[in-house]
Formats: sequence, structure tokens, C-alpha cells
Amino acid sequence: MNKDKIFKLAKGFRGRAKDCIRIARERVEKALQYSYRDRRTKKRDMRSLWIERINAGTRLQGVNYGNFMHGLMKENIQLNRKVLSELSMHESYSFKALVDVSRNAFPGNKKVALPPKKEGVSIVV
Amino acid sequence: MASTATAISVSATSSPFKLSLSHFPKKNYNSSFLSLSKPSISHSLSSRKSIFTQNLSSKPSFSLIPKFSESEAPVIEPEAAPDPESTEIETGVEVETALTQIVEVEKEVPKREEIFAVVMIGSRQYIVFPGRFIYIQRLKGANVNDKIILNKVLLVGTKNSTYIGKPVVTNAAVHAVVEEQGLNPKVIVFKYKKKKNYRRKIGHRQPNTRIRITSITGYQDYPATTLET
Repeated sequence: MNKDKIFKLAKGFRGRAKDCIRIARERVEKALQYSYRDRRTKKRDMRSLWIERINAGTRLQGVNYGNFMHGLMKENIQLNRKVLSELSMHESYSFKALVDVSRNAFPGNKKVALPPKKEGVSIVV
Repeated sequence: MASTATAISVSATSSPFKLSLSHFPKKNYNSSFLSLSKPSISHSLSSRKSIFTQNLSSKPSFSLIPKFSESEAPVIEPEAAPDPESTEIETGVEVETALTQIVEVEKEVPKREEIFAVVMIGSRQYIVFPGRFIYIQRLKGANVNDKIILNKVLLVGTKNSTYIGKPVVTNAAVHAVVEEQGLNPKVIVFKYKKKKNYRRKIGHRQPNTRIRITSITGYQDYPATTLET
């Protein structure tokens, strides 16, 4: 039954959109459109999430994301960002080995090992 | 009980587990079934039951506390064979020394090598652990219970060293067994153009294959980055 299928897909919707067929039909169609669109945007979002995580992991070692990836490309290491983000979270020693390899291949960040200094604050180095 | 007391002293240095009767050996103890099956006497059905109540998960997190996956059950079965010979020794259970109990306890738990690999299948990369399964794109010619060797190994990590492939770790191979050829959960593809009376609804189930990783080999001769501890 078409109505039953619509109500099944409309579970958890707000207000009358889960109870009344005229409103539910519209909302379900919209939900399916969004899911079609978001299956494509999910790939983009995940990639930016991985890049954020890799950035955080490498900055702990004193290298930023751009120089890290440049060093990996130079060394012809073909690990993708998904795996690199997983390694940076769970396998810290392996990730550190990767960061060292990248640093040797492209030493772009040798000077910047500390976070930027703020003015007016005395820092004991 | 004497068994738990002695067993706890063995496992005092190893990391804690969720089971009540958990006496797992130290990680670097290399226990093989053949060497330990002779002196060990399987006397306790209760401690074997405890392993079946494990919390099985296939989440790929390689922390210091390993999570045991589903391959526990098939591993335990061959240990039922020495049962007939253990019945006559049942009477000597209480008199058993602590040494044989510790040895038998370590035999019941299968050794889990602490190793992982990053493998590329179907142009996607996965982090794999031995004993766990993954879902990959459908392999056309594979039948159930086929042995598969995966050659594109991009990184191998063991407890103390990492082998980083450029791009591939040469001669490394990941052995796997095809478990099941199934379909992904259904995805509804709904195309709609507003004010133009255009609606199309299509259901789609992508075929997949489930493979279980058995072992990772062939990485030893590759230059490695080793942790100095």
C-alpha cells in the first residue's frame, strides 16, 4: 500500500508529518531528495573530516597538513586520507613513523615546532 | 577457587578484560596448540564456557586491549577432542598442580598476533586485522570458502615496528577466506523535479563480499621503522 509505505518512511518526523498523509507525502519526498543529495555530499564531508584529523595529528608532531601530504607524495606513499586519519587516531607510533618519513622527504616546517607566540606574554623558552 | 587464584596471578601483568573468568596470557607469549595440548588437561568446562560469552565486535580499533572477534568459536572446537582422555583424569582435578592449570588456561585462549595491515581492494583501502572480517566490493569469480591472497599491501604494523610501503610493501601478502557473497542494505534512489511532474523511485542493493582475514605474511624482509623502547 502506498500510504503504508509513506508512513513507514515518515517515522520520527515532526508533528503531523508522521500522521497525516498529505503532509507526510510531501515530507517523505523531500527526505528522499535530501538523502539522494547527501549521499554525494557525505563523501565530501568525510574527506574534509579526515583532513582535519590528519592536520591535528601532524601538528602534534610539528608538521602541518600541507607539508605532510607533500612529503608523502614525494615518497610515493599512496595511503589515502581515510586510512591516515584512522592511523593518526589509533596507531600513534605508526603515524609518527609516517610523519618522520614525510619530514625527511620535505623539511618545510623545521622552524615551526611551537604554537605561535602571543604578544604581551612572556614565554620562558 | 585455586584455579582462579593462580590464574589471576598469571594475568596480573596483562591488561584487564571484560570476562569474569578472564585469564588471558601476556601478549608476547607464543602459544601454539600442538605444543601445549599434551601436558594440558582440559578439566574445566566452566572456564571454556566463559570464552563463549565474549563480546564479539568487528570494529577495527587496534588498542592495547585487543577485542576478540568471531573466530573464537571455530578455534575452541578442536579442543573438544581431548575430552575422552580427560575423563579418566577427572579425579585428579583437585590434586592438579598450579603449573598444569596455568598451562591449560593459556592453551584455551588462541594466540592473537598483534599486527595490522593496510590493504587496497577494489581501489579502496582498508585497515585489516587477522581474525576479523570486512565487506568489500563483489569479487566476480570467488565462491564461498575460497582462499584469497591480497597483494597490494600498503603498510604493515606490528607491535614494535612499522613497514611503510612505497607504494607497496614488497612480497607482503594478506591471506583471506571468502565467507559470503551478499548485498548491501537497500538504498532508495529518488529523483524529483519540482513543478514538472517528474518523479522516479528506484531501489538499489550493491553486491558485496564478506572476507575474513586469516594472516599477514611476507613483510619481514622489508626495511622497517622500529620503535626503540
